[in-house]
Amino acid sequence: MTEPTDISASLEGVLKDEILRMYQEVADNSRSEFHFFHGREAAELFEYAPEWLDRAPAGAVDSFAGVGNPHLRSNLQPGETVLDLGSGAGLDSIIASWQIGPTGAVIGLDLNASMCRKAEANAAATGARMECRTGAMESIPVPDSAVDVVLSNGVINLSFRKRRVMEELFRVLKPGGRLSITDIVSAKQLSQSIVNDPKLWAS
Amino acid sequence: MFRLLEESGFSRVRSAVVPRFRFRKASTQASAEAFGVKAVMMTALKPAAS
Repeated sequence: MTEPTDISASLEGVLKDEILRMYQEVADNSRSEFHFFHGREAAELFEYAPEWLDRAPAGAVDSFAGVGNPHLRSNLQPGETVLDLGSGAGLDSIIASWQIGPTGAVIGLDLNASMCRKAEANAAATGARMECRTGAMESIPVPDSAVDVVLSNGVINLSFRKRRVMEELFRVLKPGGRLSITDIVSAKQLSQSIVNDPKLWAS
Repeated sequence: MFRLLEESGFSRVRSAVVPRFRFRKASTQASAEAFGVKAVMMTALKPAAS
């Protein structure tokens, strides 16, 4: 495992704070305009089923800040255990819960403890079952080989240690398990000015 | 990210561009395009024998 140097660890700490701030702002001020699409407008852009968006609590839909639709290829089955990496206000977890049914389980993971509680409340409001754990994607608080499917939507790009995240995803998946993620990638190396700017990195 | 998945042991790694992804602000979108930034859907499998 590659451990961060003191400098990158410091920058990673600043970045973590900026990520928490930005996504808390989306959740608290969902009517504000951000440089990315969010809420129902974004979900519809990425072809989330209208009936899902009608059925889900407004608090989960309005705070949605994904970059695509990981459900299009997740092929979730009743009884499966799903990890929603970066679960935010819970929309993807709630949709997953509906698909896996009462015999399945959804584990959310988010850096922000208050966001976890919000996601659980949103899930409970629709009868969906979800347990959200507070933690980092570089050190996922889930045992080895515990989940059938990992979902993630616009989160892994935020990590300074993406290789570590991939290793963690591999660890928590059962043999034969799968992942369905949507995320942002760059064809070119980002400039150092972007890498060193937490606001730009977090966005 | 595709390469990282393969190097981490995943198999059957597949990716496709999210066709309708874009940033709201034109200036952000222009910067993103200059760096080849795009949204992708990715699927991968942890081999059954692992």
